Formats: sequence, C-alpha cells, structure tokens
Amino acid sequence: MVDSLRPKIGVYICHCGINIGSVVDVPAVVEYASKLPGVAVSREYTYMCSDPGQNLVKEDIEKEGLNRVIVASCSPRMHEPTFRKTLKDAGLNPYYLEMANIREQCSWVHEDHAEATEKAKKLVEAAVAKALLLEALEEKEVDVIPSCLVIGAGIAGIQAALDIADAGFKVYVVEKTPSVGGHMAQLDKTFPTLDCSACILTPKMVDVANHPNIELMTYSQLEEISGYVGNFKAKIRKKARYVDFDRCTGCGVCAENCRLAGRIPNEFDELIGNRGAIYLPFPQAVPAKYTIDPERCLQLSKGKCGKEGPACVAACGPGCIDFEQQDEIVEIECGTVIVATGYDVFPMEKKPEYGWAENDNVLTGLEFERLVSASGPTGGKPILGRDKKGEGGYEPKKVAFIHCVGSRDKSVGNEYCSRVCCMYLAKQAHLIRDKLPDAEITVFYMDVRAFGKGFEEFYDRVRREGVRYVRGNPSEIFKKSADPEDHTLIVKVEDTLTGTPLEYESDLVVLGVGLEPRRDIREIIDLFKLSQSTDGFFLEAHPKLRPVDTASDGVFLAGCCQGPKDIPDTVAQAKGAASSALILMAYGKVKVEAQVSVVNPDECRGCGFCVEVCPFTAIELVDENRMGNIVQVAKVNEALCKGCGSCAAACLSGAIQPKSFKDEQILPQIAVLGVKP
Amino acid sequence: MSEEFEPNIVAFLCNWCSYAGADLAGTSRTHYLPNVKIIRVMCSGRVNPLFLVNALQQGADGVLISGCHPGDCHYLEGNFFARRRFMLMRKLLEHVGVDPARVNMSWVSASEGAKFKDVVDEVVTKVKEVGPMDQFRRRQINW
Amino acid sequence: MVDEKKLQDKARETLSRDDVRRLIGWKRSTYGYEAAPAVLTDASEADQLIFDPTCVQNPASFISLEEKKPVPRGQEPDTRKIAVMVKGCDSRAIVQQLVEKAYNRDDVVVLGIPCIGVIDRRKAEKLFGETGKQVKAKVDKEKVAVDIGGDVKTVDRKDILMDKCLRCRYPNPLVSDFLLGDEVEKWADDDFADVDEFEKMTPEEKWKHWDEQLSKCIRCYSCKSVCPMCYCVECVVTQQKPQWTRRSTDISENAAYHLQRAWHLAGRCIECMECQRVCPVDIPIMELNRKMTREVKEMFDYEPGVDAEAEPLLASYNPQDPEDYIM
Repeated sequence: MVDSLRPKIGVYICHCGINIGSVVDVPAVVEYASKLPGVAVSREYTYMCSDPGQNLVKEDIEKEGLNRVIVASCSPRMHEPTFRKTLKDAGLNPYYLEMANIREQCSWVHEDHAEATEKAKKLVEAAVAKALLLEALEEKEVDVIPSCLVIGAGIAGIQAALDIADAGFKVYVVEKTPSVGGHMAQLDKTFPTLDCSACILTPKMVDVANHPNIELMTYSQLEEISGYVGNFKAKIRKKARYVDFDRCTGCGVCAENCRLAGRIPNEFDELIGNRGAIYLPFPQAVPAKYTIDPERCLQLSKGKCGKEGPACVAACGPGCIDFEQQDEIVEIECGTVIVATGYDVFPMEKKPEYGWAENDNVLTGLEFERLVSASGPTGGKPILGRDKKGEGGYEPKKVAFIHCVGSRDKSVGNEYCSRVCCMYLAKQAHLIRDKLPDAEITVFYMDVRAFGKGFEEFYDRVRREGVRYVRGNPSEIFKKSADPEDHTLIVKVEDTLTGTPLEYESDLVVLGVGLEPRRDIREIIDLFKLSQSTDGFFLEAHPKLRPVDTASDGVFLAGCCQGPKDIPDTVAQAKGAASSALILMAYGKVKVEAQVSVVNPDECRGCGFCVEVCPFTAIELVDENRMGNIVQVAKVNEALCKGCGSCAAACLSGAIQPKSFKDEQILPQIAVLGVKP
Repeated sequence: MSEEFEPNIVAFLCNWCSYAGADLAGTSRTHYLPNVKIIRVMCSGRVNPLFLVNALQQGADGVLISGCHPGDCHYLEGNFFARRRFMLMRKLLEHVGVDPARVNMSWVSASEGAKFKDVVDEVVTKVKEVGPMDQFRRRQINW
Repeated sequence: MVDEKKLQDKARETLSRDDVRRLIGWKRSTYGYEAAPAVLTDASEADQLIFDPTCVQNPASFISLEEKKPVPRGQEPDTRKIAVMVKGCDSRAIVQQLVEKAYNRDDVVVLGIPCIGVIDRRKAEKLFGETGKQVKAKVDKEKVAVDIGGDVKTVDRKDILMDKCLRCRYPNPLVSDFLLGDEVEKWADDDFADVDEFEKMTPEEKWKHWDEQLSKCIRCYSCKSVCPMCYCVECVVTQQKPQWTRRSTDISENAAYHLQRAWHLAGRCIECMECQRVCPVDIPIMELNRKMTREVKEMFDYEPGVDAEAEPLLASYNPQDPEDYIM
C-alpha cells in the first residue's frame, strides 16, 4: 500500500549512454539528489528507458515503497509516457512521475561540464520540489466515434479514405474542387516507371465515390470543427453546383451549348486549356457531374444569358439546372480526422526574371503536364502558340528544362528541396524525346538528386536518350526578338562546370517549379490549430517517430501538406495516417486528458473570468449551496477541458487550478530555480 | 566584483511550442548559455503573472515567458491572454523600478530551436547588463 | 447640491419597501473630516443620512463585503435587495462588480448622487490641523466651505478635494435607479500628469521611493479590505496553500504583496482611492493603480467600471494587442 501522505521519492539519473554522462557528472547529481528532502533512493543507470532501467524503478517501488519517482533524462515530451507506464505497471499512480530534462535542455546544449552539472542538480531539485506536491490523477476513457473525416481528395486523401473504409469504418471525404483526384490527376506519366497517371488513379477515384462506407462531398469545404479526439463535430458547406446532383447524367450537352464554352481558362488545365461556365474539370472527373461556375456564368453573375435565356437549361434533357440552388450545410460527427490538403506549385510571380508571365512558351512543370497529357488542351501533342480556336501553332525544336525553380532558393524564401522536380523534369525530358525525336533537349540543373527506387537508373536512361544536362542556374529568360513570329527564347546561364557564360536559345522552356504549402493553408491551421514547420508545411508531432501525427490528438497528416513528396511516399504516408486513425477507431476508446482543471468551490467567487478565457467552453457557472446561501461557482466539464491552465492565470482567488500544474506545484519549482546556485 | 556576474533566469515555456523548440535546440546540439532554467507549463496562458513577482523575490535576476506565435496556440488563444497579461505586468514592475530588461517574452515555435538559442543568449546578455536583481529579493533565513 | 431632505425622504421610501433589506449611505461622524458610513435597516433611521463633501467613503464596498451568514436549516436565505447611495466614482464600482457577476443588477437599488468633489482628510489636516470637532462642508464651483465645529473656513477647492475629484470624469453616477439631485457638469479631466511626473524618475529613484514607502507597510490589509473590488472568499494573500507571500513585514514580502494587489486590480481598479485613504501609514498606493489605469487605457483602450456589458480586461484579448517587447 502506498503511503501517499509521506513522500518517498526515488530519483533516477540517466546517463543516456554518453549523451548525458559525457557532459554531466552523473554520480555528483545522484549524490546531490540523495540529500534532498523526501528522497529515499537516488540511483544512476546507463539507459533508464531500457527494460533493465525501468525494472530498476519497478523493483524500488515494490521493495522500498517509493511513492514518487523522478527520472532525470531526456525531454518529458519524449519519454513521459514510457515512465508513466512503468509506474503504472508497478502499481503506482502514473501521475506521481516527474521528469527532469537534463539532456535536451542541459547536456546537449551546454559545453562546460561544471556548469551543466550544476544546472542538472538544480533541475533535479526542482523536480523533487514539485514531486512532493504531486497528486494521483485518474485516467478516464471516452468512446471514439467510429468514423473519420478526410480533408482533401488527392491521392493521399483517396488512399487514406479507401484504407479506412475497407477496414469497415465510415469515412467522410471533403474535397474543395468539383472532382476528386488532386494534382495526380493532372499528371501525364509518373516517374520513374512511366505509368500513365490517370490509368492508375482513375480506378481509385471511382472506388472512393462508390465505396459503401465512404460519403464523398466534392465541391465542399470544412467550415467549423469542434470537440476533441474521438468526438469531433464538423460543419461542412456543400457549395451549390446549380446542377441537380442526383439527376445529372454527366452527358455534357449543357457544356457544349454553354455560351461561354471554350472561353474560360480551365483551372484543371493550369489555365492553358479552356472550359465553359458549366463544366466538368476533366473527362475522367469523379463524380461525373457538371458544375456551374457562379462567377463566370452569365445567368448567375449578370442575371441574364442570351436573348432566349440560358442555353444549358434548354439543352439539358433531364432538366437538372437549377439557378436557385443554395449552399447546403452538413453537420457530421467523427472520431478522427486526416488532413490531406496537398500543395500548391511555386507561384512564378515571385520569380519574374524567368519571363513566365510574358511568354506562353515558358511553362511550369504542371502546365507542361497538361500540354502533353492526352486529356489536355492539345490532346497530348506538344504544340505551342495555337490561336483561340485551337488551330495553328508550332512544335518546339529546342527545349530547355530548368531545375530548382522556387526551391533551394533563399531569395524567394524557400530553402528546402521540393524532392520531386529532378525526377519530373527527367521524365518530361523523356516525354519530349518520345514525342519529338529530333528536338534538342537541355536540362539546366544545380544538382541531380536521384535518391529513390529506380531514380538513378531512370536519370541514366534519359541522358542516354540524348538529353543534355548542363550544370547551371539560369539568371534570366527572355524573348530574343520582338518579332511575334520568332518564338526563340534566350536562357542566360553560366555553365558552372566549365565556367562559361551561355546564352542558350530555345523555343520552349519548362520550369521545374517546386512545391509550396497551399496558399489557403491558414484556413486549416485556424480550424485545427496545427503548427507549421519553418518551411510552412504542417508540422508533425515528431520528425522521426510520429511523422503522421499532429500536436492535436486524433488529427493526422497525409501527403504533401506535411512536406513535398512523390506519389509512393504520399501513398505510404496516407496508409500510415489511415492506420493511426484506425488504431483509435478499432480500439474504440481513447484516454482523455487527466491533467484537467479543478475548482475549489469554497474559494470561487463566481466572477466568471475562467469561463471567459476557456477556449474550449469547458467551464460554466453553476449554483452552489454555500451554507444555505445560493452562490454561483465555476464548474469544469472534464471531457472538454484540455488542461491548458489559462483559467488559473485569470483566477484572482486561485480557486481554479490545472492538475499537475497547480500554483502550489509550480511555486516550489520557482523557489528552487530562482535561488542562485 | 572579481567574478563576472552570472544572471539567474527562470523561464516558463509552453509545452507545445517553446518547450519543444528548446528540445529541438538540444537535439540539434545548439549550444546556449546555462543561465536559463526552464519550468514547463502546458500553455503560456497558464503562467500567472505573479509567478514573475515570485521568481524575482526568490532571487531570479530575470524571467522569460515563451509561447507559441500568436494564432498558433495549441489551446487556440492562451498566448493572446498571456501577451496581454505580461505587457501589463512588465509595466507594473517597471513602475516600481524593476528594469524592464528583466521581464522578457518570446514566441518560439516547435521548429525554432535556433531562435530559442538566440532568445536565451539575448536575455542573458540583457540581464547581465542591468546587473543583479536585489531590490526585493527574499532573504533566505536559515532557522 | 443635494437636498438632504429629499435624500432622506427617498431613503425612507426605499427602506419601507418590502424587497429592500438595508440601505448604505453616510451619516455625520462624531469628529473629523470624514463622514461615517451608515448601514440602515429601518425607515425610521433615515433622518441620519447626509450628503456633503465629507462623504468620501465608497458605500459600494459594502455590497460585496457583506458576509453571507450561514442560513439555519429550514430557513430561507434573505434575498432582499440592498440599497446603496453612490457618487459618480462610487458607481463605477457597482458597474465593475456587475461585470464580474458579484451580484445581479436586480439585487441592488442604486440611489445616485451627482457630486462635484469630496474632501481629502490629509489635505484638510494639513490646512487646518487634526480636529476632534464635528465637520460639515459645502462645495461650489470654486470654493469649499469647511465648518469645523462652527468655525467656517473657505478654501480653493483645488487645495482640499481628493485628487480623484480634481481629475473626475464621471461626476454623475453611471448606474442608478434614482438620481438624488440634478446632474452636474464635468469640470475636470484626467491627463495622467501625475503618472508622467512619476515616470521622470530613473529606475533607481523609483525603487528608492518604493523601498521607503513599502517598508512602512504593516500589512494590516486595510487597503484590500476597503477595496470595493476585493471580495474573494479568501484572498490569495492570506492563503496558506500555496503561500504566495510570507507574513513577515520585510520589504521583500511587502513589495510582493503590493505588486500582487496592484496586479489583481489591473483593469479592474475604478480609482475610488479608498485604499490610499485608509492606509494608516500613508503609503501612496494609488500610484501603482494609476500606472495600471493609464497603461490599460493606452495599450488596450480599456476603462473598467464604465460599461456593465464589457468583457473583463484580462479575460479577453484583441488579436492586435501590442507586443512591442516580445522577441
């Protein structure tokens, strides 16, 4: 039986191999700790987190009757769960653990051994001071709603949704655009195997739409999310398509008859192809339902379309077009969330020296994909400079590809490597070689990073096909002459291997644009309170060990929203996110925060400051009978409280306190750390 | 003084951003000055401004509160409350003659290990310049 | 000027109401420059009530200070209203107490009194010396006539009124059910010149000042007891678990106490100056509160005790709040 009134503290100082021991004088810290008040056992061990290390603690709890445990080792963010479990296994309440971070915040950051040792002593002493006042907390579990919300239906979202749905759980997929598929659907071939992107993706797109466990909401947006892991409530806006979703057969007669047919740049074709005001973004779109663009449609934006009224209405056999249609708000409940919102390509406006805006034969990689795609505006023929009717044009004779556009470039704020550009440019060079065997193809590169499975081999093959690689980062791209018939572009570059300045002439330049966080990433950050890493992509919970988790429990990441990656990596991560979500849903229960706030109703004055500051509306004022008088006092809803403790800092009487971080537990730490060594 | 004054600084770091940022500084072996001792709290919004008064009373020469950048709080808005509180508390301490250099606040995200080092070094340098805090230090009585 | 007859009639009428438990106002004290608080329960006592420039005490303090006695088993708690007379400055305490849900608006009957200034005992004593005689006073636009046991002295009001009156922006009550007397014109404004003056000091000078002042503190806690905003069941200052400040009256604990007090009033202080008025050792406590008031106004454009619907300052935020020193 644990005597919790009289603290008997065990202090364990970890050497962490030589990570701690080589800087901090561990025996000196052990010695120091052994003399602190309440300390019964003070020991050291090479690796406290190892089995023998943990057993040491367990044995002492059993034999010595320890009732508080201090582990001085790495960050509690790393091993607090490990040692909590150790305590639990030994029959001690897991919240009787306190950790002193003497690795990340001591041995790894200080060089002077004496100073580091002194600091380690203080950190251990502060932990002991707090441990004296630790309380046993109860861990509660709540049910997990067996459904998952997937945001984004690119390949990452599709794969995650399919995996979860196949495991037998309900999935809601929300996609902003009219069709699923994402960026992968825009690609022509995939590197290095040259599979046709659409051929491998389309079946999955159809599956996601038809799966009995999946509720697909395209042209929809998440508006609100509340709740907590296991119990989220989401509000989704299904934007009006102005087309009856159920009756539309996808025949396309409406689009053919649209007065603006072929006159509006199509986002799916990266604006190099056109669509009408009523449109299907691409032939294989799923769902195959038409959508009216409310900003461009004459009837919707101007209130009038032609003399005879909207041509689409007249053409549509089943009479699906409904200009009165309103957005619909759908509310759903789910236990887990997967964020798979993808990326945007580097905006060329940030690099005007490459002349992308002025020259229609300077294309981004993604524009090039549409140009050579069989479903693209030219039917896959690499023809440039066609007129409005899609006639005329020319085939390029000299093609230049440029690496690292908007990646590895501090001048545009992107220090990172986008990981896919080297290989997609190699693939595109190959495609041009395939389609235009006589073209001269030159690739300007900084480095070629062919690190993946089959990448180096592919890069080798492309070079053997007569693609010339020149090492150099172009400074400028401009038109050679003002003559509209002359399409020649000059790529100004220095061949850094020979040190020769070049003015390379070409009539098609393809820019290997990098991947950036989505321009609208803020929307998701605001909804879920996710963090960003310095590159702007979503920050995972741990860079190595929790790459699909976020700091928000129950919210997982998949695909390029977490960082640039190619298709196989995206699929792998999506499967990882799906499995993480499935763990919660398959077990069906999740532990809720035990370190919640608690009110002392005798001290509460009912001012409601805590109610105002609580970001989770977890506190309310309730009637309390105080010796016959009815007064109002605060009350915490433990399922909603996340233990941030903002309430405690707002409370004037100290009546509300977060467990494990109470004033009475923090003040002793201040008392120890405040005093000079 | 024969020996150079080494300030003692108590820091309150939020678990999700700044404490993680400090951990990252460690993982990246970013060396910084050992004068700062960290107390982990779940959110910068948890830090009762009176902790500062207490720390200065206990003998700290300076304090640092660090949280997530505005808008990135793991608990949605705790750092906004913290910002308001510490703007004000700093003015109050300034009014009784506590040099504002002793009261420091920063936004350090989980990915800003390098920034954490900069913050620590800057705070230590600033406090070093203003010297020891002895205005209302609690005298330790050995009974 | 308030007609005392009218005031007493209204008080009588109010005390006669079935739903009013008691009335708090002022009565003539036996001696000295300050009137005494009057806590009346019966209509017959109403003729004791007065209002003149000696009525400096803030009756709003009593509303929340009233101890709620245990209700014997089988009895119902007394939920009748409390009637209270307030000057403009006092009324801000009621507004702020309403912001903080200390009670409901329905729980009080507010008898508002327009006021153009009350006497500062310390200034009066400096001018006329301490007195054991009963004091009455009258104030008009320029002068205050002080009647010390029949000996009437007239002084410029700037020389005798409380500092708060010399910068009074709310001479008329901000909340009241009945107004006793006509509204008066605002004759002063607040430019925080006192705070500016204080801030000319160097940090060393500031601390020297506070070291001297706070060393005097005997920790009688009068300042917190009289404060209309201090009404926690048990103040953190006296709590033992945790113990924020030790009981010893050395400069360290005294400074911690006064910082704690000033902090707890940040964004809440309605500047009635009661804390400073009651201090037995003459600590200029308001200097701390004034600084907070100015900063709260400048940084957050916030003024406590003027809008009962306002959010409490430190339980709210603006995403655009200043953060100039944050790294």
